This record gives sequence, C-alpha cells and structure tokens, in this order.
Amino acid sequence: MADDKDVLRDVWFGRIPTCFTLNQDEVTEREAEPYYLLLPRVSYLTLVTDKVKKHFLKVMKAEDVEEMWFEYEGTPLKWHYPIGVLFDLHASNTVLPWSITVHFKSFPDSDLLHCPSNSVIEAHFMSSIKEADALKHKSQVVNDMQKKDHKQLWMGLQNDKFDQFWAMNRKLMEYPTEEGGFRYIPFRIYQTMSDRPFIQKQFRPVSPEGNVHTLGSLLKEMYPAAIPSDGEQKRYQVMIHGIEPLLETPLQWLSEHLSHPDNFLHICIIPTPTD
Amino acid sequence: MAERRVECTWKRHISEQLKLRDQVQRQAFEEIIHQYNRLLEKSDLQTVLSERYQTDKYDVQRGHEASSGADSNRSEALQQEMAQMRIKHQEELTELHKKRGELAQSVIELNNQIQQKDKEIQSNEAKMLEYQQQITNLEGDCRELRNYLQDLERANQTLKDEYDALQITFSALEEKLRKTTEDNQELVSRWMAEKAQEANRLNAENEKDSRRRQAKLQKELADAAKEPLPIDPDDDIEVLAEDGGKGGGETSPNRPLSRTPSKKISQPPPGGLLDSISNIFGRRTANSFSTSPENTEAPSGGCAEVRVPSTALHVFEAHDGEVNAVRFSPGSRLLATGGMDRRVKLWEVVAGHCEPKGALTGSNAGITSIEFDSAGSYLLAASNDFASRIWTVDDYRLRHTLTGHSGKVLSARFLLDNARIVSGSYDRTLKLWDLRSKVCMKTVFAGSSCNDIVCTEQCVMSGHFDKKVRFWDIRAESIVRELELLGRVTSLDLNHDRTELLTCSRDDLIKIIDLRTNSIRQTFSAQGFKCGADWTRVTFSPDGCYLAGGSADGALYIWNVLTGKVDKTLDRNHNSAINSVSWSPSGAYVASVEKGSKAILWSDM
Repeated sequence: MADDKDVLRDVWFGRIPTCFTLNQDEVTEREAEPYYLLLPRVSYLTLVTDKVKKHFLKVMKAEDVEEMWFEYEGTPLKWHYPIGVLFDLHASNTVLPWSITVHFKSFPDSDLLHCPSNSVIEAHFMSSIKEADALKHKSQVVNDMQKKDHKQLWMGLQNDKFDQFWAMNRKLMEYPTEEGGFRYIPFRIYQTMSDRPFIQKQFRPVSPEGNVHTLGSLLKEMYPAAIPSDGEQKRYQVMIHGIEPLLETPLQWLSEHLSHPDNFLHICIIPTPTD
Repeated sequence: MAERRVECTWKRHISEQLKLRDQVQRQAFEEIIHQYNRLLEKSDLQTVLSERYQTDKYDVQRGHEASSGADSNRSEALQQEMAQMRIKHQEELTELHKKRGELAQSVIELNNQIQQKDKEIQSNEAKMLEYQQQITNLEGDCRELRNYLQDLERANQTLKDEYDALQITFSALEEKLRKTTEDNQELVSRWMAEKAQEANRLNAENEKDSRRRQAKLQKELADAAKEPLPIDPDDDIEVLAEDGGKGGGETSPNRPLSRTPSKKISQPPPGGLLDSISNIFGRRTANSFSTSPENTEAPSGGCAEVRVPSTALHVFEAHDGEVNAVRFSPGSRLLATGGMDRRVKLWEVVAGHCEPKGALTGSNAGITSIEFDSAGSYLLAASNDFASRIWTVDDYRLRHTLTGHSGKVLSARFLLDNARIVSGSYDRTLKLWDLRSKVCMKTVFAGSSCNDIVCTEQCVMSGHFDKKVRFWDIRAESIVRELELLGRVTSLDLNHDRTELLTCSRDDLIKIIDLRTNSIRQTFSAQGFKCGADWTRVTFSPDGCYLAGGSADGALYIWNVLTGKVDKTLDRNHNSAINSVSWSPSGAYVASVEKGSKAILWSDM
C-alpha cells in the first residue's frame, strides 16, 4: 500500500509549468512581463491565479479591468474543469511551458461561467463531490459528514494541504468489502472534437459475472474507437493526469487513486500526435 | 502469483509514468520558474527603488539650484539651519523628558492602583471565606429543615391514613343511615296506606250509616205521609223555602263548609268530607230546581235569574280620585269599591241605592283589586304599596298585611279553601300565602309583570304584560301551559263552573277560553270598545250567559255569549274610562267604576 500512497501523493502534487502572457489587445501603461507559474493539476484555474492577476494589474489602469479569463490558442479555458484536464485535453504533446493568454476584457459569456469569488468554486467543487458520492454510495457518506467535514475537504484543496484533504477524502473512498467496489464509478470522458462536453454514464466496477472491470472494458463500452484493434496504429491517447495507464488497470483502483479531488475520474481522449 | 505480477505491472507502469511526467513537467521547470519569480520580484523592487531615487535626485537638484546663487550666505544659512535644528532637537528632548516624567508619574499611580486592587482582592477573599462559612451554615440549616420536613411528611401521612380510615367508617355509617331512612320511609308509607284504608273503611261505614239513617228517615217520612195530617207538607215547604232562600243568596259552594256544624238538618258525620259536599250539592240543586229537575245541567248552578242591566239606578261619588276596583259580596248585599285614595269602601245595596256603610283603611297606596272570600266575611285587597291586606267585613278591622312583593301588587285572590291566597305583582312574581301561618309559602318567577289572577282547585291562571296567560299547578312551581294572546292581558274571570276563562287584553278583544280543550272558544269585540288600562276588569254574569266590560270612552258593553253579539251599550252615564265592572252574584245588579271618582249601580229597572 505504500506504493498506492505514493501514487496519491504524485497525483496531488502534479504540476504544470505555465507561462501567462497578457493579451496584446489589452491597454497597458507599460509593457507587461510574462508570468511563470507551476499550476497544480488537481486545482482550478481561478483558484490559483491570484498572483497572476496581481502581476498584470500592476501595469493596467483600474478602469480597464473587467473579469479575468484565460485562453489557450483561441480556446477559452473553462475554470470549472480541473487544470490537469484542461492541459491534457488542449495542450498535451506541445512544448512546455504551457502558454496561456490572460484577458481582462470581452468575457466570452457563451463559453465560460462567471467566477466572481472563491465561494462559487467551492459550491461547484462540493456539488461534484456530492454527485460522485451519489453514484458511489447513494450519498450516504457525504450526508453523514458534518458541515465542518465538508469545509475541511474544501480547505484542503484551497490551501494545497494533502494530509488535511485525504484525512477526510479517505471516507469517501471506502466501500463494503463484500461488494468489491463502488455502486457506480464516477467518471467523465472528455474529447477534443465533440459537441458534447463529456461522456458520463452509470458503470459498475464489477461485471454481473463477477469479473473485475478494467479501463479497457470501460472504454469498450463508452468509446470503442479509443481501443486500437489488432495490428492497427494507435489512433487515440487515453490520458489521466498526464499519463496513459495500461488498459488492463482495474477501474475500481483507478477510481480510488487517480480520481481528482472532486472524486471524479477525469479521462481525456485525444488524437495521437502524427509526428 | 501471476495475478499479483500482473497487478504489479500496471501499477508499476502508472507510478513510473507519473515519475516520468513529473520529471518532464515539474522538475525541469520548478527551479527555473522559482528563480524567474525571484528575479521578477527583484526587478520590481529595483524599479520601485530607482523611481524613488529619481525623485530624490530631482529634489536634491532643485535644492542645489536654489542655494548656489549665494555662496557666502550658504554657510550662514547652514549654521542658522543647524542652530535651528539644535533648538528644535533640544525642544524635542525637553518634551521627551517631560513625557518621561509623566510616564513615571503614571507608573506610580498604576502601582498605587495595583496595591489598591491587591487590597481589594484580599478583602474579597476574606469575604469569600465568610460567605463560604455562611454557605456551610446554611447547608446545615437546610439539612435540618429537610429532616424536619421529612418528619412532617411522615406525620402527615399517618394523619392521612387515619383520615382515610375515618372516611371509610363515615361512609359505612352513612350507608347505614340511608338504609335506616329507607326503612323508615317504607314503614311510614305502609303506615299511611294502613291509615288510608282505615279512613276508607270509616267512610264506608259512615256512608252505610247515613244511608241507613236516610232510609230510616224516608221510611218515617213515608209513614208520616201515610198518616193523614194536613199540616206536615206545609212544614216541609217552609223548610225548603228557607233553604232555597239561603241558597239563592249565597251561591258559594263552600258555604256549608264554613258554617257546617251548627247549620244543617241531616248532615252526615264530617269523616267523608267529599261525600258530604256532593250530598249537599245534590240536595241543594234538587231543592232549587225542584220545579224543573230535568234542567240540572244548566251552567248557572245555584244562581238566580240574570237580568241584563239597562238603566243607571244610582250614580254616586265613590272615592276621591280614580276608582280602580269594584266587587259585590257573595251575598250581593254589599258592594266594595277601592280607589287611589287608599281606601276600600263598603256600600250596602238597598232598594237600588248604595248606602255608604264603612271604609277599610290601612293601605298606604291605591287599591288595585278587591276580592271577598267565599263566605263573604273577609275582604282581600291588593295595593300599590307592594302589599295585600285582609279585613274582616263585619267590624272593618285590618287582619293581615301580606308583604313580600318588590313591586305593586296588581291582583290577589283567595284559593277555594279560603285559607290560602295567591297574589301577582308588577315585580314579575306570583306568591302563594298561607293565612294560617301568615307566611309566603311559595314564590314563582313568572317572567313578566302579572296583571290579573284567577284560581280553580289546583290551577292558578295568571294574565301577563307579555300577552301570555300562564297556567300554574299550585303544588309544583312550574308552568303547566302557556297561551299567547295578541295584547297585554288586563283581566281574567272564570264562569261559575270554572270551565271557561274570560280574558280581556289590550288589543280590545275579549275572549272565552275553554279550559277543558284549552282553546279559545269565542272572541268578542265591539265598535268603540277600547280597553282603557292594563287593569281594566271585565266580568261574566253569574250564569255565564253574558259578559260586561267597560270601555275607555265610558261606555259599558254587555255581550250575549250565546249570540256573540253586543246586547247592550250603556254610554250615557260615565264620563271617563271604566276601570272595573262587577256583576252581583244574584244577577240583578251590575256595578262599574271609572277613572273619575264615580261608581254606578245598574239594573234593568
């Protein structure tokens, strides 16, 4: 189990080197330096970019500033997806550091949600946790928690406290041993080229015959194209936390260890780079 | 084992991949970014610093330009400036010294305060000790009191137990008492039954005795009749005539009762009272109608022929002021009038004239109603002074005053036994009085002011202000029946048989109510007949074939009951509203009294 703990730790402390540059259309008093930051994969953009905002506000007039938003190569970045998902989906296999453009104007209302304060992120985060627990335990665990336990989960994420978060999150990952897993695996499959934001269905960790479901069986059910047929070139990469787990990895274990703090297993399916 | 190895493969794969990822994405950039941010901060700091130096430099340059003009003055100015600065600093120093002194002072003060507080604390501690002591004392007291309370509770418990025991004994005794009482009652009732039987037996014997005696008498009479003696029938007729005369003069059925013992010839012994009464009646009826024995059913009972009045025989001033009540004595020989002058006057009717005979005084207010007892020896008058009074007719002396009503008494009547009186008052009660003990036996709440009362054997009828005639059982206090008329009831009268009730009400209608069917049998009215007051009295003729009533305009109306029409209207002699009318029991006279002071005696002569 020591290995598992290390995996959790690695997942938690995954970082993405990012270079924030101010959009050139923004009116500045003097030239804005780019700002480099290591973004935690499991967190949310608007939660960790206070410094970035502060940095760019120094060179801007107060009256020109509206709500800050981010964009990567023309795509507005949704703050309510975990940062790791955004990176894997849009920018994996590109040159590091990840270059994000910062905007303070013309907020794209059709693509992004407004994020006026951290309490909005907290509400989103907690609702994800509750949804995941509804799938896993019929909400029993999360409903048994007290208000301060919920707060502890959020504060753990907000302040990047691994031990504080996992002390509470451990309960959400428990399951009765005789059932061999959760009721359903909370997962979301993201694709770059799709109108649907993501695929999310009910999927049990164990088949009716008692066989353990793996990542492969999930994909076969949800997205068969992601599995290469024999002898064929691999067309898609299946990314979780920036890595490609083997298809025979058991789904239950993945859900327990490679889930984001919101308790969902976020899987990105991206086309294999051609070069 | 193989499985475990497989497990290891994917797990190892994942951790390796994660390591690789971190190497590429994290470790490679961690240091660079850290350093970059430091440099960025440094450069920011530099910018800030350089800006500040810039401004400083500018200021210094400006100062330099200002002073370079006068080089000689410069040192002086500098010196001056120095001196000024020294002075300033010295001032500052003294200021600070002062402050220090102040601070030292405050330190001392604070020390003092601390000492004071210490003292307070000590005293408080002493107090606390004291209170502690008190608390322990109080706790001791408390314990004692609790013990005391427990003792008391125990004592209370014992007392309660004893009380319960006594209670049980008491209830047992009570039960016994009840049983004994029941036994007693049973015995009494048995005794009463025995008594009744005995009385019956006695009655039977008496009857037998009387029959035997009668038979004997008849036999003797028959024997005597057989004997040819011419004088005997005459004697017999004389006896009969004397009897008839008396019967005609005094129609009351109770008369023989009041004067029984000395009076009659073949009186049965007093044991069978009812029997004797019926005997007398039978005998008397037979006597008075001996000429037409088939006519025994006529309603006139024992009265002489009724003559409808047509002329005013005698008009006279009866009272000073309003005359409210008038009544003939049972013998028709006396006329009593009562007025607002608080007197009842007695007049003797002699040959169509009323001779004043005497005045009954004693009332403190106007007289409202007058009644003679059936023997004609007592006179009862109700008065506005809340009382009813009884005088003896022979010596005009006031015998009883019945007080107790809280309003004026509007009517008072003897019951048929002459020993009780019923009175009805404006205070909305009826009272039953016993003349033997002279106390009020019963008071019933009628609910409305009572204007007039009449009585039969068991029933009292009262006419009320709320338009109702109420029927009461003397024994019970409850209303037996009610009958609602259309106007306030002013007057009630009974016919001779007490089978019909005459009512007069303020809707100017006079009605006859059949008491057997309890329904209105006949209604009388007349053009111009108006009921003048709430106590306007109307009357039956003694045979019940006529009604007499006085109107508000002073006219006296006589109705014929058989035809239901007005028989006579006598409107010439009264000048104001007629208050009351009375028909003499002999049937020959009618007397009426009016709101003025007059009374008129009418007859057909």
